[in-house]
Amino acid sequence: MPVSKGWLKCRVGGFSLEADWHIEEGEVLVLFGPSGAGKTTTLRAIAGLVRPEEGRVELGGRVVYDSAVHISVPVHRRQVGYLTQQYHLFPHLNVAGNIAYGLPDRRQPDARGKVERLAKMLRLEGLEDRYTWQLSGGQQQRVALARALATTPQLLLLDEPFASLDNELRRELRRELRAMLVESPIPVLLVTHDREEALALGDSVQVIDDGRIVDQGEPLQVLGQPGRGRVARLAGVENLLMMTVESRNPRDGTMICTGGGVKLEVPLDAAPSDQSDGPRQRENITVGIRSSDIILASEEPRGTSARNRLPGTVTTVDPRPPGYEVTLDCGVPLKAQVTGAAMSEMGIRPGQNIWAVFKASSCFLVQEEMPPPPAD
Amino acid sequence: MMGASLARLRGIPGLPVAGIFGPAATVIYLLFIGLPVLALLIRAAQHGNFLTGLVGDLALTALRLSLITSSISMGIILLVGTPFAYLLARNTSWILRIVDSLIELPIVLPPVVAGVAMLMAFGRQGVLGPVLETLGIGLPFTTGAVVFAQIFVAAPFYIRSAKLGFQSVARDYEDISQTLGISPWGTFWRLTVPLAAPSLLTGFALAWARSLSEFGATIMFAGNLMGKTQTMPLAIMTAMESSLDSALALSVLLLAGSVTILIGLGLATRPKWQNRL
Repeated sequence: MPVSKGWLKCRVGGFSLEADWHIEEGEVLVLFGPSGAGKTTTLRAIAGLVRPEEGRVELGGRVVYDSAVHISVPVHRRQVGYLTQQYHLFPHLNVAGNIAYGLPDRRQPDARGKVERLAKMLRLEGLEDRYTWQLSGGQQQRVALARALATTPQLLLLDEPFASLDNELRRELRRELRAMLVESPIPVLLVTHDREEALALGDSVQVIDDGRIVDQGEPLQVLGQPGRGRVARLAGVENLLMMTVESRNPRDGTMICTGGGVKLEVPLDAAPSDQSDGPRQRENITVGIRSSDIILASEEPRGTSARNRLPGTVTTVDPRPPGYEVTLDCGVPLKAQVTGAAMSEMGIRPGQNIWAVFKASSCFLVQEEMPPPPAD
Repeated sequence: MMGASLARLRGIPGLPVAGIFGPAATVIYLLFIGLPVLALLIRAAQHGNFLTGLVGDLALTALRLSLITSSISMGIILLVGTPFAYLLARNTSWILRIVDSLIELPIVLPPVVAGVAMLMAFGRQGVLGPVLETLGIGLPFTTGAVVFAQIFVAAPFYIRSAKLGFQSVARDYEDISQTLGISPWGTFWRLTVPLAAPSLLTGFALAWARSLSEFGATIMFAGNLMGKTQTMPLAIMTAMESSLDSALALSVLLLAGSVTILIGLGLATRPKWQNRL
């Protein structure tokens, strides 16, 4: 069964887009990036709704587009399932009518059986006669999925399918989507700008920015320490510090950076996409640190391998489920994540003096699209 | 009851325009429109010879001609106007935007002027006159000219409404439909047309009413020949000079037709899923 792969070059107005993908059956590839990065255009080009300049699109072993040999199968013969953020359910049809819409023999018993099976699988039983606008957001989302699955697509294109739902419902629907993929293993290309969603659903992730794939790989790795400024902000990197390279230590693979009265040890090759030998001395850089990588200590820790130990004062404590986010003033503001148990044990409260501890390898260089403002 | 209604009127939120002048204006307006309509019905009833007036040669012939010509006009308007309206709804090129803004010209143009204009185009002395003459086609003062006049004045009502209807169907629906395996044509018939149906019906009814009532352009371009170009409005005009019975009967008939269309519109164009697009 279906593997989907291909590559595309698109030009829409002044915007140029290059994409390539390879998705196994039952696998979810996440396209992660800011709005305007070209995510939706990629999906639409694969579906045949946008004409690429060149490329090759293979769906389940069938070539549906190949600019080299002038193949371009029209949208309705491509067998792709396409879900939009607003679902676009057909308001003049009831739930059953929506699900059966793409079936060639809608009134045959076979088709009825299929609608029934899908309704059951997506927990829509008993709602078949309702109009779709009488349903809740989650139910509408499932109708859209059932409608797409009814036509046995070779590839599912999901364009921020959970964006208009609340958090609780999102998690539930993610689980359902996962379960659905076990039952009918279809390759899925999922567009999102929500990091949690990318981590929860993605088997692999491509970060796309300004029409180019800037990073790809395993979601935890790619979205954990994103190497580009816009992506880092999008992926919610809590600490982004403007610093200056003080000295380089190529033998250890580290460098010392300063900024805001703080001195940090940072890996030299921290930017994975960077082929050069790291930033030069006196160069202004941005250093990213995830709040979950910072350990808090009430006294100065000794005998630790962690290279970075900063004294500071607690400024605020905010709940951030499942734990708390503690903001410190170490000369620069620094956010750390702690569990509720650690909070109460250490008695963390605003005004308290505290130490922030983290490894050099928890720091990563973030390449700014715009040069960062000079650190003082 | 009256008091309750008034109380409700006073309860209307808004500027004094709504609270004080609004009710007065409403009464004046309803009287102004309602009185002539009522008078027409009362007079027709008093004359009593409603059926004789209707069965008269003049009336029957005009009625038949009106039905035939307006049906042909509406057929042509549907056939040409629908794809045109769809193109206007989907394409935003500057040429079409200019065309779009000129669509309603026949609505604001006095019908008599439309008639003169068509004579200048298709008449014997007209721009296309010599061409039509060599082809052996004489258009003015024929039933064909009646149809031309009706299409000219009525088509914009349908096209404008159909365009708005198609615009209300977001392209995403059509995209989704195609990804579900339905061809572009299939998508148009199974999705776009049903979703635009309320507007299509409204436009159709308005255009039909307009073509039935067409007078000025017809009398200019097609004349007033009984059995050939004398449609109902023209027949009423003619009958006023000889037989008031016939004129009244025809008028009541047209009035009934108009009311039927209005009620039909109200019923047919408000599907449950309205405003859900």
